[in-house]
Amino acid sequence: MKRSTEKVYVKRIMHVLVHIQKNLDNEMSLEELAKKAHFSQYHFHRIFSGLVGESLQEHIRRLRLERAASCLKYTEKTVTDIAFDAGYQTHEAFSRAFRQAFDSSPSEFRSNNTLVTQIGKTSIHYKDNVQENDITILIGEEKMDVEIKTIEPMRVAFVHHVGPYGQVGIAWEKLCMYLGKDGLLGGQCQFIGICYDDPEVTAPEKIRYDACVTVDENFVPTDEIAVQTIGGGEYAVTTHFGPYEKLGETYSKLYGQWLVQSDREYRSEPGMEFYLNAPDNTEPEDLVTDICIPLKPKK
Amino acid sequence: MPQTEKIDLFKLHKDEYVSPKKPKFVETKPAKYLAISGSGSPGGKEFEAKIGALYGTAFTIKMTRKFEGKGDYVVCKLENQLWLDDDKADYSDFEPEQWNWKMFIRTPDFVTNENLVKAQKALIEKGNAPEAKQVKFETIDEGLCVQMLHVGPYDKEPETVEIMKAFANEQGMELYGKHHEIYISDPRRVPPERLKTILRMPARKVKPD
Repeated sequence: MKRSTEKVYVKRIMHVLVHIQKNLDNEMSLEELAKKAHFSQYHFHRIFSGLVGESLQEHIRRLRLERAASCLKYTEKTVTDIAFDAGYQTHEAFSRAFRQAFDSSPSEFRSNNTLVTQIGKTSIHYKDNVQENDITILIGEEKMDVEIKTIEPMRVAFVHHVGPYGQVGIAWEKLCMYLGKDGLLGGQCQFIGICYDDPEVTAPEKIRYDACVTVDENFVPTDEIAVQTIGGGEYAVTTHFGPYEKLGETYSKLYGQWLVQSDREYRSEPGMEFYLNAPDNTEPEDLVTDICIPLKPKK
Repeated sequence: MPQTEKIDLFKLHKDEYVSPKKPKFVETKPAKYLAISGSGSPGGKEFEAKIGALYGTAFTIKMTRKFEGKGDYVVCKLENQLWLDDDKADYSDFEPEQWNWKMFIRTPDFVTNENLVKAQKALIEKGNAPEAKQVKFETIDEGLCVQMLHVGPYDKEPETVEIMKAFANEQGMELYGKHHEIYISDPRRVPPERLKTILRMPARKVKPD
């Protein structure tokens, strides 16, 4: 049972990895690749970056550079042609990127005796006519603390936010002010964020997010503050320690490392973040956030 | 979350909130707090309910003032004092059930009693924190203190206090008064061995016999 989900998710990503290597000359959009792997864009990117160890864009860029290095060594093509094939408009831009990756200029690299070295922290590298069994995906051995919890539906007051994730504080300020003045921020209320988009995939101005605080059945929505019911069902829950800017790393690990090795499948619903302390009186490294991803019921 | 300009008393008085790895003298000035007292084991039912009531009151006051256009400020970190009835023995030598405690949150001087009463009324009406009516203003004045960062479980604090005592004694000083802790970490999630707490103990010159 455990192997089968692992195989399903890994196999689907593997399929995409081969497709990428065979199409380095073409533009490849996240949308098209997600479709190919039968994932939503949101889940595709998180599973991809979690498994491969880099974002899709970084991956494509790195493979193009590795292929360029190989062409410099083993073909007679001009540097300008190779630069162009790697997606660079100018010789200079290519040289800069190449030097950053291989620590040498393209022409030095061509004339000296070093072999093509593999770059990046990942196990996946460019290969001519790559086949699925040429690619090994390393799944992290590091244990992640994940608990499967049933979260009962919760009634929440919320403010909807559209815009950069870094600005969700504006929604929070508004929500807390209106609830606070009415005595609704007492005792046991929970502070929850619903993330409809992955900040690493969706353009900042289009990120959708709800800032939510649990309320009881007596709360009446107002012009400023709406009400909805969230949660319900099983979730994989892990705790992220540290700044909100690094939440993406924990998401990638949860999707790309934990999920692919578990016997569970994700449910296509937005995830939730439970904020256990407040950013205005807590140092970023001391922030604590529970990340919850929805799971399909166990078969 | 982006921050608008807010008054942050911890940053304004950062000399008083240092968290050194080795003990250090700190000169503290009298300060205004919202406070709630109780007894029994920290982490027990009464303690938890009162933390909720104290935070609830602090946030309700802040948000009401903000809504009324009276400016914004940061709700400071939670602090706590622990002591025993006779005030002489060391609290940590006794069972937690016998401890007295007072939890408090530093609050700007411009917050009025009217603000407090209004917040308590709002909270109690909504049934969110019945203990809120026990929250009071207090001025705490500890003067010269020895301060040090404690990393680890709360029940290991006496080891850090010993280091602070030895440091004070070397300077011809002694610690007295209530054991005071300023919580930096959230004990609900941070594992005990990683909890960070600032310990503060008032210090005075040892009287010659």
